[in-house]
Amino acid sequence: MALTPTVEEQGSAPELEVRNLVKRFTAQSVVGPLSFGVAAGEFVSLLGPSGCGKTTTLRCIAGFEVPTEGSILLNGLAIEGQPPNRRNIGLVFQNYALFPHLTIFENVAFGLRLRRVGDAQLRQRVGHALELVGLPHLAARYPRQLSGGQQQRIAIARCVVLEPRILLFDEPLSNLDLKLRLAMRRELRELQRRLGKTAVYVTHDQGEALALSDRIVVMSNGRIEQIGSPQEIYERPANAFVADFIGSSNLLDATVVGTDGAATIINAAGLTLRAGVVGHTAGARILAMVRPERIRVAGTDAAAGDNTLNARIREATYLGQDLHLTLRLDGGQELSVVTQGSAARRLVPGEEVVLTVAAADIFLLPK
Amino acid sequence: MSPAPPRQRPYWTALVLPLALYLIVFLVIPFIHIIVLSFYTYSPTRIWTPELTIANYVGLADASFLTVLLRTLRLGLVSTLICVLFGYPLAYFLARAERRVALIGLFFLVMPLMVSAVIRTFGWLVILGRNGLVNGAITALGLERLPLLYNETAVVIGLANVFVPFMVLPLMASIERINPALEEAARNLGASWLATFRRVILPLSRPGLISGCLLVYSAAISAFVVPMLMGGARVRVIGRQIYDQLLISYQWPNASAIAALLVIATTSLAFFVLALMRRSARQEPDA
Amino acid sequence: MNRQMPALLKPFVMLTYILLLAPLAIVVAVSFGASPTFQFPPTELSLKWYRGFFGNPEFVRAFFSVSLVLGFLAAAMASLLGVTAAIGLVRFRFRGREALEAFFVAPLFIPEILFGAALYLTYARLGIKPSMTSLLLGHVVVCTPFVIRNVMAGLVGLDPRLEEAAMSLGASRIQAFLKVALPLIQSSIISGFIFAFIISFSDINLALFIAGPNSTTLPVYIFNLLLFEGDPSVAAASTLQIVIVGLLIWLVQFLFRPRALL
Repeated sequence: MALTPTVEEQGSAPELEVRNLVKRFTAQSVVGPLSFGVAAGEFVSLLGPSGCGKTTTLRCIAGFEVPTEGSILLNGLAIEGQPPNRRNIGLVFQNYALFPHLTIFENVAFGLRLRRVGDAQLRQRVGHALELVGLPHLAARYPRQLSGGQQQRIAIARCVVLEPRILLFDEPLSNLDLKLRLAMRRELRELQRRLGKTAVYVTHDQGEALALSDRIVVMSNGRIEQIGSPQEIYERPANAFVADFIGSSNLLDATVVGTDGAATIINAAGLTLRAGVVGHTAGARILAMVRPERIRVAGTDAAAGDNTLNARIREATYLGQDLHLTLRLDGGQELSVVTQGSAARRLVPGEEVVLTVAAADIFLLPK
Repeated sequence: MSPAPPRQRPYWTALVLPLALYLIVFLVIPFIHIIVLSFYTYSPTRIWTPELTIANYVGLADASFLTVLLRTLRLGLVSTLICVLFGYPLAYFLARAERRVALIGLFFLVMPLMVSAVIRTFGWLVILGRNGLVNGAITALGLERLPLLYNETAVVIGLANVFVPFMVLPLMASIERINPALEEAARNLGASWLATFRRVILPLSRPGLISGCLLVYSAAISAFVVPMLMGGARVRVIGRQIYDQLLISYQWPNASAIAALLVIATTSLAFFVLALMRRSARQEPDA
Repeated sequence: MNRQMPALLKPFVMLTYILLLAPLAIVVAVSFGASPTFQFPPTELSLKWYRGFFGNPEFVRAFFSVSLVLGFLAAAMASLLGVTAAIGLVRFRFRGREALEAFFVAPLFIPEILFGAALYLTYARLGIKPSMTSLLLGHVVVCTPFVIRNVMAGLVGLDPRLEEAAMSLGASRIQAFLKVALPLIQSSIISGFIFAFIISFSDINLALFIAGPNSTTLPVYIFNLLLFEGDPSVAAASTLQIVIVGLLIWLVQFLFRPRALL
């Protein structure tokens, strides 16, 4: 299972490469060693719970932290020794970090003025950047006069105007309300595609990472748990942490019994189940994972080869679009199931139901 | 995840060195000098007699000086208590007032503090003087004039008035940090206003109260202008003693001993109180 | 919140303010009266004590040539020393940083009479004659903590990401400080300067000890007149001081919102 493709396997040389990066704060608090690459034009998210080291990694790339070990290569050249202002890497901050004493125009012009860009060219480039984010009419305002979403776009314009080699985002949408966050998410992705810039995006919001990224680096406790496309990470998590952190999942302790054609026969919680994968040796102790939305309730449509389970409903939470169920299997195991809220029949606690799960929807993880 | 500490290059020495040197020359050395001088032998004919002696300190154990010392400490204590009495309600009011009111209130608190103590004392002279406001009212009623000035009460009034902002400012800062929800929670749990004050606000504002008392007390016991103008010759305090011995009778070693005593008293008080506060801050990490 | 305050709090606070401000109000009132005996309330209005003040060259000198000049010089020196020291204290981590900070603000907590006495004796030992310079050097010591407190509060309140943003846009560390941090703490520096000025301008304790015969400050002059029963031109001079200090505090408070007064 090559769930963590190495840089070489991606074919083209990466634009940004983090190689064996280690940042040691104290003996207990260590990030790394980490290695990953980002191809030109690719959008990669660093995803993990707070304290997992994702922001530290980003700050090492930006130059605000000096790695204890390892190197960071941009187009093959080591940059970890360069001061942040020589790297030409754009960074969009969580709270935007717009300069409150400067107008929007001057905020965007800040980097150009440092580079002593001539007046005519400066005007033209700032104007172009403001148009790119759709806010040319706000040039004379001050940051505090702008809404959160507008400030966010200005923060992006301020980076983009310098034509940075890559763009870094440090949880840029976390200060926005839900609706705006969804809108900005689309806009951000669209902008990144249009500019063709390589992007590294730090977030703790799995939905954001799934929606935006070409590839996701899942991190916890200073280590990389898995690198892969959103689909790979969701469908084929490398371990229990990833399965649990990305979406929700039912994890059952299981033992491999044997193989039956394209399926592995396992024993979990006293039940014999068929999982649609191969390559596990009999007797191995593993974890069986089923996503809650892949379990069908009262399945009259069970196909041949599907697993069927008897369960009793313990709790039903109606959420409009979805109905969340907590069920108890005959063996005492609890399962979560998400089903359509508009299901014809009302399901109530105490009711006995039959669940069906396709063999392909049971995924086996190392324990 | 916190921002990185800036990289360790010794730039800071260049930034802090000028002030550090300045304070060493103009603050530390003069204080070391005064302590050394307090061990010099007094001679009416020679100013600097570097023969070391403890006579200046032994000489302080004399009845007239002890009277002055005790009076000073007593006046300091009474004025500190009065400052608490008037300062606490004011501090609470300012800490909990709406922003605009608090700004105006703060202005009228800081402004008098910043006007020279001489001028504020002068105002009291006019109020309490022979032909002043109070005696004007008394004589208008056909009564005898009262000797309101040149006694200890007058000095306490002056000291408390001049130093009350020292009490209010740290107290206010301390009360502001107490989440108002705590008061509401106490009230909700059935505490009266007084019980809320005694059990919630007072304990949580203790650091501010302590530093306010410390500031007022050490300012009051070393005050000089107020006792001189409002207490006259009869209410002698340590500040007056130091001033007279330095500038009038030129008993410098003796004055140095008194000053050294006062330095030790105020700094040890400050250290003691700060240590106390640090300990209580450790006990209440969120206060 | 007001609901929860006991009914007596507001009247008591008003009383406190009356007691606090009465002496100043009375000085101002007396200065506009005509009576030579500090009569209050004044029976008729007059500006004669202001004429008396401006007609007294010693008074005018103490006010304009000594106190004002001294205040500006002390504030300028204190700002120079204080701003650099505050930057060093906030922006760098080094051993003994907290102790150094305590040392720098220590003059706030040292009784001025003791400092005055210590400085007086040191000058006497070194044979330095009391002068405006000797007083200035002492004032700088007591003024600097106010600059340090204000500037440190300004720097601590500053989001470190702003400078990081500047650096990610190509500014060096020093450029980021000069172009982003310094403009943003400007108001803290100005209010520190103003407080330093006021401290020097109002000081009496140090000046009594180390002001020379040619550097009698306004408070010292007023003090001497009060000891020897002067006339209400003292009130006129005091009123001018009250007005200047009041205006400056107002300026600081309503324009800059200082975070550290004490």
